[in-house]
Amino acid sequence: MKMVMEGSHAVSHGVLLSRVEVIAAYPITPQTHIVERLSELCASGQLKAKFLKVESEHSAMASCIGASAVGARAFTATSSQGIALMHELLHWASGARLPIVMANVSRALGAPWNIWCDQIDSLSQRDTGWLQFYCESSQEALDTMIQAFKISEKISLPSMVVLDAFYLSHTFEPVDIPDQERVDRFLPPFEPKFRLDPKDAKSFSSLTAPDTFTEMRYRIQQAMESAKSVILEVEREFHKIFGRSYGLVEAYRCEEAELVVVTSGTVTSTCREVIDQYRHEGKRIGLLKIRTFRPFPAEAIRENLRGVPKIAVIDRNLSFGMGGIFAEELRSVLCNEPERPLVFSYVAGLGGRDITQNTLSNVIEYSLEAEQPREDTLWPDLRI
Amino acid sequence: MKEEKKITFKGLKDIPPLSISMGTTLWNKTGTWRYLKPIYSSKTPPCNEACPAGNDIEAMMVLVKEGKFREAWKLIKEENPFPGVCGRVCFHPCESSCNRKEYDEALSIQAIERFVADSHFKIDQEKPVGYLKPKERVAIIGSGPAGLTCAYHLVRMGYGVTVFESYSSPGGILRIGIPEYRLPRSILDREISEIESLGVEIRTNSQIGKDVSFDDLKAFQAIFIAVGAHQSRRLGVEGEGLEGVMSGLEFLRRVKEKEKISIGKRVVVIGGGNVAVDVARSAWRLGAKVQMVCLESSEEMPAFFEEVSETEAEGIEIIPSAMPIRITQERGRLKKVDFIKVKLAEPKSDGSLNPLPIPKTEFTLKADSVITAIGEVPDLSFLPQEVPIEKGFIKTDEMGFVHPKGYFAGGDVINPHHTVAGAIGSGKRAALAIHGYFRGEWQKGKLRIALVGEKGTLSLKKYFHPPEGEANPPVIHFHEINLDYFEHQDRVRIRKIPVENRKGGFKEIYSSLDQEEALKEAARCFNCGVCNGCDTCWVYCPDLAVKKKDNHYEIDYDYCKGCGICFEECPRSAIILKEEGR
Repeated sequence: MKMVMEGSHAVSHGVLLSRVEVIAAYPITPQTHIVERLSELCASGQLKAKFLKVESEHSAMASCIGASAVGARAFTATSSQGIALMHELLHWASGARLPIVMANVSRALGAPWNIWCDQIDSLSQRDTGWLQFYCESSQEALDTMIQAFKISEKISLPSMVVLDAFYLSHTFEPVDIPDQERVDRFLPPFEPKFRLDPKDAKSFSSLTAPDTFTEMRYRIQQAMESAKSVILEVEREFHKIFGRSYGLVEAYRCEEAELVVVTSGTVTSTCREVIDQYRHEGKRIGLLKIRTFRPFPAEAIRENLRGVPKIAVIDRNLSFGMGGIFAEELRSVLCNEPERPLVFSYVAGLGGRDITQNTLSNVIEYSLEAEQPREDTLWPDLRI
Repeated sequence: MKEEKKITFKGLKDIPPLSISMGTTLWNKTGTWRYLKPIYSSKTPPCNEACPAGNDIEAMMVLVKEGKFREAWKLIKEENPFPGVCGRVCFHPCESSCNRKEYDEALSIQAIERFVADSHFKIDQEKPVGYLKPKERVAIIGSGPAGLTCAYHLVRMGYGVTVFESYSSPGGILRIGIPEYRLPRSILDREISEIESLGVEIRTNSQIGKDVSFDDLKAFQAIFIAVGAHQSRRLGVEGEGLEGVMSGLEFLRRVKEKEKISIGKRVVVIGGGNVAVDVARSAWRLGAKVQMVCLESSEEMPAFFEEVSETEAEGIEIIPSAMPIRITQERGRLKKVDFIKVKLAEPKSDGSLNPLPIPKTEFTLKADSVITAIGEVPDLSFLPQEVPIEKGFIKTDEMGFVHPKGYFAGGDVINPHHTVAGAIGSGKRAALAIHGYFRGEWQKGKLRIALVGEKGTLSLKKYFHPPEGEANPPVIHFHEINLDYFEHQDRVRIRKIPVENRKGGFKEIYSSLDQEEALKEAARCFNCGVCNGCDTCWVYCPDLAVKKKDNHYEIDYDYCKGCGICFEECPRSAIILKEEGR
């Protein structure tokens, strides 16, 4: 059934269809609509979940950890300062191997105060051991929610589904809502491998000495690595039932490309239009959308960029003192390649500034012309 | 069992994916860490302490909140045969002591009691106390709230009880003194008939000393004297004997009995107590223009505040701080009353008011009739010599005991502060004292187990079924309530008929709550100091050491670490924390 809905509600629908059992959340713009709808669904009884109204994001994540530890499918949603407040518990969730799923609506962090789109909030949580998916459309957000539970529960690690603030969270699009019965077939109830149970009292996450800690960390890294194939496997199954899939990355019109623009999130859609225009003019420009940021799909990226002379990476985020975070990651997975593309790193669209087709054309023109980027980090829409 | 076992992991394959103990941790009795021990221990709610009738108000609120109205009614009836009366006319000291008044507004306890009483449940014929089948019989003189309460409790204990009433129908002050608009006759009739249905014999038209001699009561093994205070004090001013001057109680009785009565157009009521207020409002209902004059200042008036404000709302003028000098008539008809303004000095040695006239402040009020209500005293002329009398009241000890011949007394004959609840309380106290007297248990120690708090309130339930733990735990104060668990919520507004619809009739002013209002209001109760099964401790215990058992909780001290979270979080301070080994 197709419905026109905003990205936030697509996420809510994904949660509903995933038969989540515990939702703990604290409101923050621009995430609020997600849990607002969920609270309504819980109140009406349509979603048989326990909705916990907590006093902070820290408590929201703590509640999800507790719920997941006893074997409940748990969800939260947040943004910006909220995910920052959760930080220490994000580590705990992955270390305790709990398959919690969170929606993060990407928003800048203050100061100064800013409520608009910027990927710095989720990217700041890069090293917390959470899987991260960056969505381009409402449909993708809904589908990724359902997939994320399955993936997380298979590998015992938590997942973060990331939506661009307003561009995706507050924009209405037609969304195909899958049948509950088919979702149930795809996503069976959560059966934890270890369950906190007073009837079988055990100690969890207690002091772990140096003789085993490294091995436990290695296990998490293994799980992350295995996630790449698990994601693809889950995607194949999803495609079989629902006819849609997204991949770890998506290469768009990259045939014989002399330049590939690398994007994530909603700017991808804008870029598709620009690429189409260039291709229409006969220019060999391609697009690589990175959907999975953790685990970082190194092999898929290397494969897709093999033989490409130049890439232009668009980063809606900034690591102060280094540059765009996606660019940084791309450089690091490409640097050992015998023939690697020249990396143009563009930081644009911070704090909700639009990345227009014009911005992207300027980026493409400069990347084509310049033999070398004049700086490690370029600012295409900087007002000078 | 050897609990320590060194586990060596040979490699990655042995290591679990997350840090988890290999076996159960139940062997680890963390209770040994504890040095503070939480214990469920009920306190005394301030309302229960304040209720002269000894109602378990807190428990009643739990039952009402759960919709168990019949159980709530039975609970009140354990202590008090007159919930319908008290639900209307009590001065509700429970509400004045309610901890919730410090937070938003006191609980509307009286309205809930009335709601429960008005639900018209049928009284149980079984004698729930059922102590034994004693042979003793008790005579009760007076069928007011004190006498009938004593009779009710004694008959439920199995004693034979006969009540002697001088008037033609039972009820005492409730029957002839409290106006219909405050206490409809039907309510009183129902509650008295319930008492009679338990086997209490009430002999009306049987005045002791006139119809029946005091000596005739020797057939009874104990006598409870509760004839009330039905003699109006005299003004002691010129013209008091004129036609058109009458006593307040006489007036109220005649109004209540619908006797023909002519008071004219202008009525002056003298007095500032509750009887004076009842008189003024009754006269106003008969169509007169009423002025009320009292010795006290507005702040000092002994009448209950709510009654005074309703009096003023009805347009009755209250003139404080004034004293009558003389009442005069003209051409055989009452004409006017002269007053002088006064200041109250320190009370006289007998405790009575000591007004000092202020010179040149005389004033005159026109009056077709004057009704006096400056205090009522008992008529004790029928009593034998051995009954000790002090300042016009019978002298008793703290249990209402008067004389070793088996005389006891209660109600307005022993207490100048006439309240219905106080009379009910003293009737109950006498029932317990008489029971103790017969059973040879009348040591104070035994009766002390019935005490609720420190104000002398007694509970029959406690006497016959002493609760586990502390006999009379301390009263809980507002600061001991964990307010985080309570949302502000206004007290229920009780519907009353507008002033303009009151004149010319004696229709009851206040309405009963409806069920929804009663449920909502009862849920406002803090349940001070008493566990009401809210689950807070159970939810918070980090060691899962709080266990639910039927309708209460138990702490598994094998695992309770004594962290004190349950004690801290308990919304109503029903948990105490004790140092181990002390």
